[in-house]
Amino acid sequence: MGRILLVLRLALRDLRRRRTEAALLLIAILAATMTLTLGLVVRDAASDPYESTRAATKGPDVVAGTGGFADLADLEKLATASGVTEHSGPYPVIAGKIEASGRMSDVQVEGRDTAIASVDQPELTQGSWVSDGGVVIEAAFASSLDVSVTDSVMLGGRSFKVVGLAVTAAMPPYPGTSCIVSVGCVHGAIPTDLNLPPGFLHNPGLVWLTQADVRSLAPAQGSMSYVINLKLADPDEAEAFVDANSGDHGGTMMPMQTWQSILADATELARDSQILLLIGAWLLGLLAVASLSVLVGGRMADQTRRVGLLKAVGGTPGLVAAVLLAEYLLVAVVAAAAGLAIGALTAPLLTESSAGLVGSAGTPSLTWSKVALVTAVALGVAVVATAVPAVRGARFSTISALADAARPPRRTGWLVALSTRLPVPLLLALRVAARRPRRVVLGVVSIAVTVGGIYVLLVLNTFLSEQSGLRAYSEAQVTVLRHVLLVWTVILLSLAAVNAIVVTWATVLDNRHASALARALGATPLEVSAAMAAAQVLPALLGAVLGVFPGGYLLFAAIITITDGDSNKATLPGPWQLITLILATVLAVATLTAVPAHLGGRRPVTEAL
Amino acid sequence: MQQEVILAMLAKEASHGYELRARLRDALGPLGEAMNAGQVYVTLTRLEKAGLLAVERSADDADRSDRKVYTLTPNGQQRVTEWIAEVSWPKPDLAEFHLKLIAAASAGLADPLTIVDTQRRELLRRLRDAQRAAMAEPSRSNAALLLEGIVLRLQADLRWLEACEKNWTHRRRIS
Amino acid sequence: MSEAPDTPVLRARGLRKEYGKGEGLIRAVDGVDLDVVAGETVAIMGPSGCGKSTLLHLFGGLDRPSGGELLLNDRRIDNLSEKALARMRRTDVSYVFQSFHLMDELTAVENVELPALLAGRSPRAARRRAEQLLDQLGLAGRARFLPSALSGGQRQRVAVARALSNEPLVVLADEPTGNLDSAATLDVLRLFEELHEYGQTLVIVTHDARIAATADRMFSMRDGALVDETRLTGGTTGKLGALVGLED
Repeated sequence: MGRILLVLRLALRDLRRRRTEAALLLIAILAATMTLTLGLVVRDAASDPYESTRAATKGPDVVAGTGGFADLADLEKLATASGVTEHSGPYPVIAGKIEASGRMSDVQVEGRDTAIASVDQPELTQGSWVSDGGVVIEAAFASSLDVSVTDSVMLGGRSFKVVGLAVTAAMPPYPGTSCIVSVGCVHGAIPTDLNLPPGFLHNPGLVWLTQADVRSLAPAQGSMSYVINLKLADPDEAEAFVDANSGDHGGTMMPMQTWQSILADATELARDSQILLLIGAWLLGLLAVASLSVLVGGRMADQTRRVGLLKAVGGTPGLVAAVLLAEYLLVAVVAAAAGLAIGALTAPLLTESSAGLVGSAGTPSLTWSKVALVTAVALGVAVVATAVPAVRGARFSTISALADAARPPRRTGWLVALSTRLPVPLLLALRVAARRPRRVVLGVVSIAVTVGGIYVLLVLNTFLSEQSGLRAYSEAQVTVLRHVLLVWTVILLSLAAVNAIVVTWATVLDNRHASALARALGATPLEVSAAMAAAQVLPALLGAVLGVFPGGYLLFAAIITITDGDSNKATLPGPWQLITLILATVLAVATLTAVPAHLGGRRPVTEAL
Repeated sequence: MQQEVILAMLAKEASHGYELRARLRDALGPLGEAMNAGQVYVTLTRLEKAGLLAVERSADDADRSDRKVYTLTPNGQQRVTEWIAEVSWPKPDLAEFHLKLIAAASAGLADPLTIVDTQRRELLRRLRDAQRAAMAEPSRSNAALLLEGIVLRLQADLRWLEACEKNWTHRRRIS
Repeated sequence: MSEAPDTPVLRARGLRKEYGKGEGLIRAVDGVDLDVVAGETVAIMGPSGCGKSTLLHLFGGLDRPSGGELLLNDRRIDNLSEKALARMRRTDVSYVFQSFHLMDELTAVENVELPALLAGRSPRAARRRAEQLLDQLGLAGRARFLPSALSGGQRQRVAVARALSNEPLVVLADEPTGNLDSAATLDVLRLFEELHEYGQTLVIVTHDARIAATADRMFSMRDGALVDETRLTGGTTGKLGALVGLED
C-alpha cells in the first residue's frame, strides 16, 4: 500500500513539475483517442448500411406496384404466387406536394396500417408510427426538408403533424427514391428546354400516412396507385421471380423492383460517402500518431535522466518502471475518457448526414468493445512510452543515465554549414531544425497528410460541382456529400492545427536555452521568434509540396483503385489551385506558430541562462 | 630557514655549497630569489658544529667555504629520518586579527569593516603577486606547485575575511 | 584601442534594479556608480546573491534597469529597445558565462563564428576570424571538436574566443572560473592577462579572489551596492618569500 502511494506521489509530482508538457501530451492522446472513437463509430455506420436497415425493417425481397397500368387485382394475385412466403400491402399510394419549412416538394404518400407489418415495417429513427392525422417522413427526406418530430407540414392542402421519422429498405433513401406512383417521376436537374408532362413528380420524397388519410387526400379513385412488398422463400431468386411474374398484364409489364436493385441504387451514394469517411479516419489517425510521436519521443528522452535519479536514491528498476507507468497511465486514462466522450458526442455530426443517406437505422452507439479498444490504444501508448526509458534505465548505469543531458541535440553538419550563408532568422531556424531531425520529419509528414487530404477533398469537391447539373447526383445528394466533406475538412484542419501548435510549443520549450543564448550573442527577439516560426514553416512548405505531389496524387490514385472508380471522371486541381493550397498551408502554419514562437522569443534571456 | 631542510637537501649526495643553493633555487623558483646566501652558509656551519654534517675539503682553495663538500654524518642521517616523519605544520595566526577587530569595535578605535577592507586589500595584493608569479611559471614545475599552495592559502584567508565582514555587518545591523 | 586612456567606455550612474513590490521588494542593484576606462580590467567581488550577476546583465542589456543611467561609449543604453540592445550585444559588448553556454551541436569554430554571423558578416570572413582567434588562444588543433570533446578549460577558452569574435568594446564575464579546477582556472587567468595586455576592456564578476586579484581595480559588492574599491595596479610587494616563511 505504502509503495503504491509512493509511486503515485512521485508520478503526480513529476506531472505537476512539467505542466505544459503534461498538458500537451494529454491533448495529443485525447486527439488520438477522439479520432479513433470517431473512426470506429463512423466505420460501423458506414459498413453495410443497407444490410442492417434491411434486417431492422424486415425489408422486402421484391416490391411491386401498379404503376397505373396493372390493377389492384394483379397485385393481390402476387401475394399468393409461388415462392412468396410473406407479404404486406397492397398499400395505396398517391402523388402530392408537401409544404414544410416554407418550401414545396413533390412527394409520394404511402398509406399504411397502424399495426406492425410483417414485411417492410419502416424503422423509426425518431417518434412513433403513423396514426390518423400524423405523418411519418423518410429520414433522409426529413433532413433535406429540415423538419423533425412535432413540426407540422401541409399535405394536399391539409395540415399534418410529423409524428415520426423512419428509414426503409423498400426503396433507396431520398433523393434516390424509386417511383411508385402512376404519374411518373423524374430525378436530377431538369434541363430548361424540357417540358414535363403535367403532374410529373420531380425528385419526390416518401412519407407515410394511415390508409384512411391517404384515401381522403386522393382527388379521385383513378389517381390511386398501389404497392405490395413481398418476401420470398429464397431471396437470391428475386430476379427470377420478377422475370416469371412481371409477365403480360394487358400489354404492359408490371413494375417490380428486386432488393438487389434497390441495394445498388441505395448504396451507390452510400459507398461514396463511406469511402470518404474511411479515408478521413485514416488521415486523422496518421496525424494523431505524428503528434503523439513528437511528444512521447521528447518525454521518453527526458525520462532517462529521471530514471537515473530515481535509481541513484535507491529505487529498484521495478519501482522506476512503476513510477513511469503510473505517470503515463494517469494521463492516458484521463485523455481516453475525454477522447471517448468528445468522439461519441461529435460522431452524430458525421453519421447524421450519412444516416439518412445510407439508410442506416439510427446513429450507431458507442459499444463496450469500442470503448475497450480506444482505452487499450491509449494505455498501449502509455506502456510503450514507459517501456523504452524503463528498459534503457535498467540497462544503462545510473551514472551515465544521470550524466545524459536531457536530450543531446543532434548535429547535422551540412545543415549547419549551409545555414551560415543565410540571413539570421533562417540561419537560426535551420539550426533549430537540425537539432531535432526526427521532429522535422514528423512535422513534414503531418503537413503532407493534411495537404494530401485537402487535395483529395478538392478533387471530390470539383467532381461534385461538375455532377450537380448531370444525372449521377441530384442537388440534394451533392449537398449531403458536401456536408460530409465539410465535417471531415473541419476535423482534419483542427487536428492539423493542434499538431502545428504542439510541435511549435515543443520546439520552443526545447530551444529555451539555445534561444536565450542566441539573444545574448546579439540576435533580436524578432529574429529568434521568426526563427522559431520558420523552423516550422520550412518543413510545412516541404510537407505541403509533398502533400500535393506525390501525397495527394497517390492518395487519390489509391482511392480510385479501392473504389474501382474511373479517374477520368474526376478533374484534378489546376496548378493555380495547388499553388494557392501550398501558400495557404504555409501561411496558416506561420500564423499558428506565430503566437508560441513570439512568446518563446520574448522570454527574458536571463531566466533561461 | 629550518636546519632540517638544509640537512635533507644534502641527503641525496655529498655536495658543494653552491650546488645546494642551486637545488634550493630550483625548488623554490621566484621565492628562492629572496633567499639570503649568507644565511645558508651560517646554517651549514651550525650543522657542522652540531656534528650532523661532515666536511670534505677539496684539494685546492681549501679555505673558501663554497668549495667545501658537505656530507651527512650518521647523526645527521638520523635527524633527517626523524624530520621526515614529523607532522608539524605552520600555525595560521588568526587570533591576532580576530582580537584586533573586537578591540577596535568595543573601544571604538576604528570601524571593524574598514579594518577588514584594508586587510583584504593587502591580501589581494599579495594574492595578485603570487598569482602573477604562478602564471609566469611553466605549469608543472616545482615552483608552480609551491605557488599554488600560497595562492590557495591566501584564498582561504580572504574567505575568512569575507566571513568576518558578513559577521560584523550583521552585528552592526542588530545594534 | 582608439579611446583616450581615461575615457570611460562604460559608465553607470545611480543604477538600480528592483524585483517585486511592496513588502517583497528586492533591491538587487541599489545605486551603483561605476566608470570603466578603456583597456581596464575591473573585478566585482561579492558573496552569492549580492546582485553582481544582475549588475552584469544590466551592463549587457540582458536586463533593464529600474532606474539610473547607463552609458556605453557616451551613449545612453538604459532606454534602448530590445532590438537596439540586441544590436549592441552584437558589436559592443559580449559575455563569457560560468557554464560556458556553448551550443553542444556546434564545433568549436562554429561556436566562435556564430556572433559574427549574427552580426551579418560574410561566412568566409566569420570563419577566418574564428580560426584566427582559436589559433591565438591555443586551440587551433581543436577547432573541429565538439564541446563535449573538450576539457572545461578549453571550453571556456572557446567561449572567450566567441566573446572576442566581433571585437567588442567590453567583455563581460560572469564567474568565468566558477566551473573550473585549479589548473584550468590558471589557464583562464593567463588568457585574461593576455587580453588585458592586448588592451581589451574587461568587467568580471566573481567570488573567486584569484581572478579578482588579477584586475586593475576590484570592487566589493554588498546588498546591491559597490562598497569598497581596491586599486591593485602598482609595484609588487616583492616580498613573496615572506608568504612561505622563507623570510621573516
